[in-house]
Amino acid sequence: MYGWIWRKLPGGIPGKLLGCAVLLFATLVLLFLVVFPWAGPKLPFNHVTVDTTPTAHPTATSSPAVPD
Amino acid sequence: MGTGHWRTVLRGIGQLFITAGLVILLFVVYELWWTGFTTKRDQHRLLNTLHQQWAHGVTIEDPPLGSAIAILRIPRLGPKYLFAIVEGTSTADLIKGPGHYTGTAMPGQVGNFAVAGHRTTYEHPFYSINRLRPGDAIVLETRTRWFTYTVENIPGTSARYQEIVSPGDVSVVNPVPDQPNPGLAATQRVLTFTSCNPRYSASQRIVIHALLTGSMPKSAGVPQALHGYRIKET
Repeated sequence: MYGWIWRKLPGGIPGKLLGCAVLLFATLVLLFLVVFPWAGPKLPFNHVTVDTTPTAHPTATSSPAVPD
Repeated sequence: MGTGHWRTVLRGIGQLFITAGLVILLFVVYELWWTGFTTKRDQHRLLNTLHQQWAHGVTIEDPPLGSAIAILRIPRLGPKYLFAIVEGTSTADLIKGPGHYTGTAMPGQVGNFAVAGHRTTYEHPFYSINRLRPGDAIVLETRTRWFTYTVENIPGTSARYQEIVSPGDVSVVNPVPDQPNPGLAATQRVLTFTSCNPRYSASQRIVIHALLTGSMPKSAGVPQALHGYRIKET
């Protein structure tokens, strides 16, 4: 996989290194700004309220935190 | 089709696994460290907005979800401990700071001012609330007043100053804490914190109860519990 990317990148060694840096940066941005913020709240240790949501469904975060 | 082909496939699979491991490691870094930065940035904005509102004499009667409603200080957790409490306890609210359960009492009111906060992520405002002991002060700053709550067992109820309960035990935030009937008329001014327990888990909730023991206008100075603090002038 990485070998294939390395072979496809143009511009000789300097161009390939630059291409790698750009790809790495883009991946990190995508992970930290899109993927991780989406996944984080789904984790159980981010559940800090008492609510009537059954604990068997820890991904259900949209339920009201306080019962009426 | 020879062994070279299979070698390529196997190498690809191996690289995928290594990549997945690195992504998971990065996710841990994100949760425990990066979320602190985003919350710190949000808190900075919230505190600025709140101080501006206060300076202009604005009191929001029905604060919008996610907006700051009061400033929290807990001397036991250090002189730098300061968080803007936001309205609401949804995921989006709680990543900004500790969140006020909508519908429960506001600071200083009769009833239960209930607040949830993160324990290990998003600058973990409630990381150390297990260290609170009877007699410790929890100070709230609103536009015009200081409210000092004291951690203690709530008289006339079964609410202890610290409780470990199941995640579904909503009675801890009832107007009369730990009474199963949410319609029971409150007579005391109570504060309740909830967070997850143990740290890095969510199998239980840790609950702290406190009782209002002091209320004074900000024009009269700074409450006893904050003597020695450097209070930001507004």
